[in-house]
Amino acid sequence: MDINLRDVKFAYPDAPEKTVLDIDQWSVSEAERVFVQGASGGGKSTLLNLLSGMISSTQGEISVLGERLDKMNRRQRDQFRANHIGYVFQQFNLIPYLDALDNILLASHFSKLKNGVALREEGKTLLTTLNISPSDWNKPTRSLSIGQQQRVAIARALINKPELLIADEPTSSLDQHNRDNFMSILMSLIDEHNITLVLVSHDASLSTHFNRVEVLNDINQMEVNRCSSSSPRKV
Amino acid sequence: MFIKLATKSLINRKGSVLLTLLAMTVSIFVLLGVEHIRHQAKESFANTVSGVDLIVGARTGNLNLLLYSVFRIGSPTNNISWESYEAIAADRNVEWTIPISLGDSHKGYRVMGTTQDYFEYFSYGQQHKLTFESGAPFQSVYDAVLGYEVAKKLDYQLGDELTLAHGIASTSFSRHDDRPFKVVGILAPTGTPVDQTVHVSLQGIEAIHVGWQQGVKLPGRTLTAEQAAQLELTPKSITAFMVGLKSRIVTFRVQSQINKYPHEPLLAILPGVALSELWQMMGLLENTLRLISVLVLVAALLGMSAMLLASIRERDHEIQLLRTVGAPPMFLFLLIELEALIISFLSIVLSTSTLYLCLITLEELLIAQFGLHIKTSILSENSVLLVAIIVGATFVAAAIPSLSAYRKASAV
Repeated sequence: MDINLRDVKFAYPDAPEKTVLDIDQWSVSEAERVFVQGASGGGKSTLLNLLSGMISSTQGEISVLGERLDKMNRRQRDQFRANHIGYVFQQFNLIPYLDALDNILLASHFSKLKNGVALREEGKTLLTTLNISPSDWNKPTRSLSIGQQQRVAIARALINKPELLIADEPTSSLDQHNRDNFMSILMSLIDEHNITLVLVSHDASLSTHFNRVEVLNDINQMEVNRCSSSSPRKV
Repeated sequence: MFIKLATKSLINRKGSVLLTLLAMTVSIFVLLGVEHIRHQAKESFANTVSGVDLIVGARTGNLNLLLYSVFRIGSPTNNISWESYEAIAADRNVEWTIPISLGDSHKGYRVMGTTQDYFEYFSYGQQHKLTFESGAPFQSVYDAVLGYEVAKKLDYQLGDELTLAHGIASTSFSRHDDRPFKVVGILAPTGTPVDQTVHVSLQGIEAIHVGWQQGVKLPGRTLTAEQAAQLELTPKSITAFMVGLKSRIVTFRVQSQINKYPHEPLLAILPGVALSELWQMMGLLENTLRLISVLVLVAALLGMSAMLLASIRERDHEIQLLRTVGAPPMFLFLLIELEALIISFLSIVLSTSTLYLCLITLEELLIAQFGLHIKTSILSENSVLLVAIIVGATFVAAAIPSLSAYRKASAV
């Protein structure tokens, strides 16, 4: 199992009585592609932040890639995230004043792989694969189009050869054309590198790319109590 | 990568960063400038005279005597009689004396009548004796030895002739133009008022005043230069004299003997003591200047701190992103600190080079106007310490925005 959550509860420290996430049991196996459908406000970000170790659970067991995140301190989680997890957001994936290559290298700065020249070459290869033309490699990323930025974001997320990729509404700021383009490139890279993918989006049309589709409200018990739930489906 | 990130982030906000940089540069310039000039002025003053145990003049204030005898600033209140001088010079504790006679000038430079002992015993700085750039001490009545600046500024060579003016104003109407002096020696630069002095013998001073009374030339009573030189030219009075003692132990005893000299009211001062009195008087001014420059720096540092703090508010996404790729909150703290230190470092480089340029440009002016010899080399123990303090203060001031970034990073 790449991800295994058991009896996880989370409440923000400033409102400890209000549990925002409550998961009995949820797991993802190796190289699985999981689509989690859910609107914002359903504990989506909380779930992803828990998986990536940005925050720690109030209680429960979170193991990712065989490591117990709930047993680690913040520094260990930061290090673990840098080494093993790639992350793509809806937007603001890049430092706007650095160029594409530097953004990619910045991500590798915090991981254990730090072999400068080879890494640079690898970054260039990734950018080429992602259809970013070499003339755009050394421009500040703020001057790139949103579609290009999201593709550079994939390169940034993959440079450390993560075993797990987490994507949070990665296509929501893209138009139809760019969205399809983005998804097909992402999926082919995921396949190629045998990476486990957890993608969260409100956009149900993306589910066609996945072999497992979940609804956030089914995972999060807190939401069950509040909203009506639909049963889990398998595609 | 760390430095690149900080640098590019600063370049990204070049408007506000540039203004902050300028504010810092100006404040560091003021601080370093004040400190440097203060330090150099003190050194310059302290180096003006050394090896002189006592300075004796007519009874006046300690500072006044020091100022006119050594620094050629202000005017002597009264002269002392030649007899008193001879009596004290003959004391068994006295090793040497240098009589000084002031009151005339040449094109704004003060003329000092003295004896050859001046060139033998007078020393400045770390016991440096006067040395000659060219020529030799005066021998005859109408010989003159020029300080380095006088010769350089007025472009005098050995053998040139010059006339002295009565009084110390550069536009004196009463000139001793009937008795010109010949340049026989030019002193090497000393960085003291000696450089701005025209030295002649006491006899020379007497000779040009023969036939004068109450400071004016009396018509019909003047002699030719040759006739004057033939006269008995022992001065009746001198302005002051410097004393070197055989042993330092007796300094205070001799001082009190002179101060109680029965035949004439005299004052003997220890140059070192009088100098420190001078500094005490200047201390308040000095400290005020220092305080102001420190406050200016504090203001600039606070400005930088405010600029960085405001920038953090705009950098939420950046912080979040850095955290996501695995940057610990400490990285954010250090990143902001580094940005501050880069600004500070650039300001230090800019301000020191500006200061250096200013000193080079103003060097001549300071010497000509104030007799201040300021070394252009800013590098000293003092300035290195100051720079270290500035860097330290930058770190402390930047801790406010850095902590804010740290807290923000911990929260995401």
